[in-house]
Amino acid sequence: MSANEKLVLALPKGRILKAITPLLTRAGIEPEDAFFDEDARQLQFATRDPELDIIRVRSFDTATFLAFGAAHLAVSGSDVLMEFDHPEIYAPVDLNVGHCHLAVAAPAEIAKTEDPQRWSHLRVATKYPNVTRSYFAARGVQAECIKLNGALELAPNLGLCRRIVDLVQTGSTLKANGLVEIDKIADVSARLAVNRTALKTRTGPINDLIGRFQEAARAA
Amino acid sequence: MSESEFSAVSAAAGRLALLPAGLRDILSPNAANEARVIDLLMAHTTAHGYERVKPPLVEFETSLLSGPGAATGGRIFRLMDPVSQRMMGVRADMTVQMARIATSRLKNAPRPLRLCYVGQVLRTTANQLNPERELVQVGAELIGSETAEADAEIVLVAVEALKAAGVSELSVDLMVPPLVPTVLATLGLSADREAQLRAAIDRKDIAAVETLAGDHAPVLSKLLGATGQKDEALAVLHGLDLPAAARAALDRLTTVVELIAAAEPGLRVTLDPVENRGFEYHTGIAFSLFARGARGEMVRGEVGRGGRYRVNGGTETATGFTLYIEMVLQALPDPIRRETVFIPHGTPRDEAHAIRVAGHATVQGLAPVADAAAEARRLGCAFYWLDGKIAALASPSQT
Repeated sequence: MSANEKLVLALPKGRILKAITPLLTRAGIEPEDAFFDEDARQLQFATRDPELDIIRVRSFDTATFLAFGAAHLAVSGSDVLMEFDHPEIYAPVDLNVGHCHLAVAAPAEIAKTEDPQRWSHLRVATKYPNVTRSYFAARGVQAECIKLNGALELAPNLGLCRRIVDLVQTGSTLKANGLVEIDKIADVSARLAVNRTALKTRTGPINDLIGRFQEAARAA
Repeated sequence: MSESEFSAVSAAAGRLALLPAGLRDILSPNAANEARVIDLLMAHTTAHGYERVKPPLVEFETSLLSGPGAATGGRIFRLMDPVSQRMMGVRADMTVQMARIATSRLKNAPRPLRLCYVGQVLRTTANQLNPERELVQVGAELIGSETAEADAEIVLVAVEALKAAGVSELSVDLMVPPLVPTVLATLGLSADREAQLRAAIDRKDIAAVETLAGDHAPVLSKLLGATGQKDEALAVLHGLDLPAAARAALDRLTTVVELIAAAEPGLRVTLDPVENRGFEYHTGIAFSLFARGARGEMVRGEVGRGGRYRVNGGTETATGFTLYIEMVLQALPDPIRRETVFIPHGTPRDEAHAIRVAGHATVQGLAPVADAAAEARRLGCAFYWLDGKIAALASPSQT
């Protein structure tokens, strides 16, 4: 095919980015130096491969860039992919880094006394309203989600809600705020995800990158 | 209007202009361009013997939800019919209407029956990705033939129509939606496990498939790996050990790929044997059509899709395609506004008529003006009628 656009790989800022840097090297993706400069204002970076660019976006935005085809591939947490469950996104490779899990948590004393069978409605603070609503809906409970972008652990103690749904890595933040984990919703790890149209129209180069990431993840 | 005028629009005027989410006005030259593209698509479909039919915009809910319409239940606008006191629905897809016509009014028409249509559909839900709730569909259905030739014909007619409309760099992705359910049914998994596995397969999440499928993982991950260019994918598929029903479905796929490749050797064909999302009502070969935009960019979604399904309570089989005009237009260059000739007030009618006969569009002046050229420019005309000749405006017209 002629006049190919460059392929764009979206990478999330923060926690996962550090974890996947060695993986990128093993997959043979060598970004320009500015990419490793945390203070750089630049958002799009070239790589050694003239046909591949990298963009650095917020973790939650990786799925949006990908779904719209603005990025052709992305490294994205499986939590983010669950929340934005677009049929336009495939998640073929588990990169086996950035492990944690998505859980429901509540203040310890409430968790001890309440009978979840009796709930019909519940207010939950979360960054993941879609996942939360469908998790509770499957249990016959209507979840009214309060979307927060951080400091979720404060919410139950300040009376905003009784439950939170959040990522749990070690559990120490929950503990420090008097919360206990009630149920695990899903294990989370970083995935290589691809846009459906891109996979089907740029099959060769995309399958090649998928293969390289697969090898890199296996070698870890 | 400039940006500053735009920000000064009064609240009342803004309220009047606002349309409900997902609905829009299409202006010139886009509306005319859309009609032109639809005409081309329909002309090339009817040239293959597909007869145009026109079902109503609204019909009883029960008929809209039968057969291939079952999956549209959540997307239909409903209204009560004051005459019959029954619930009616605004169509969210036209395939189901074709199936209804084929099995009722055209029940005795000879098979195979070829029908085509164009029309608007309305959907209650939209998402961030596809915000339009009113869409235009052009489609064709080939009813009553089980053959691989019918599967291939539907793809080929769609491709020919799209090419004729100017869509370049088409690629066809062929799939077999019933394949995964057939394979999974032979594994004897619990319903929960099977649902999880299907969700993982839909996302091409190989890691999850390997965890969930246990002993059966190798076959499933090979199926997942057979996604891509037709020759490579077919080679992988031929090496697999599959249950008889799945094997038959794949043999059909091979035949259809060969028929398509023979007829359109330049067409890019990819296979995805495990794709199922959005193709739930298909019972045989299905396909998606992708295109590049005029500047080589990826068109975000499919320009069309289709496949084999059952009608008439499963007694008859059909295949068809639907083209999404909004997406087709994204694959085409921006339309150019038609240039018009300004006819000053008082010009004899037969002179203006002769200009139109010569193929130009005219804009009639309705009152005398001092400067015909200035008036022509104000109205966005490229030319004006001066001393019995078409004169070009000195500077390019404002459009």
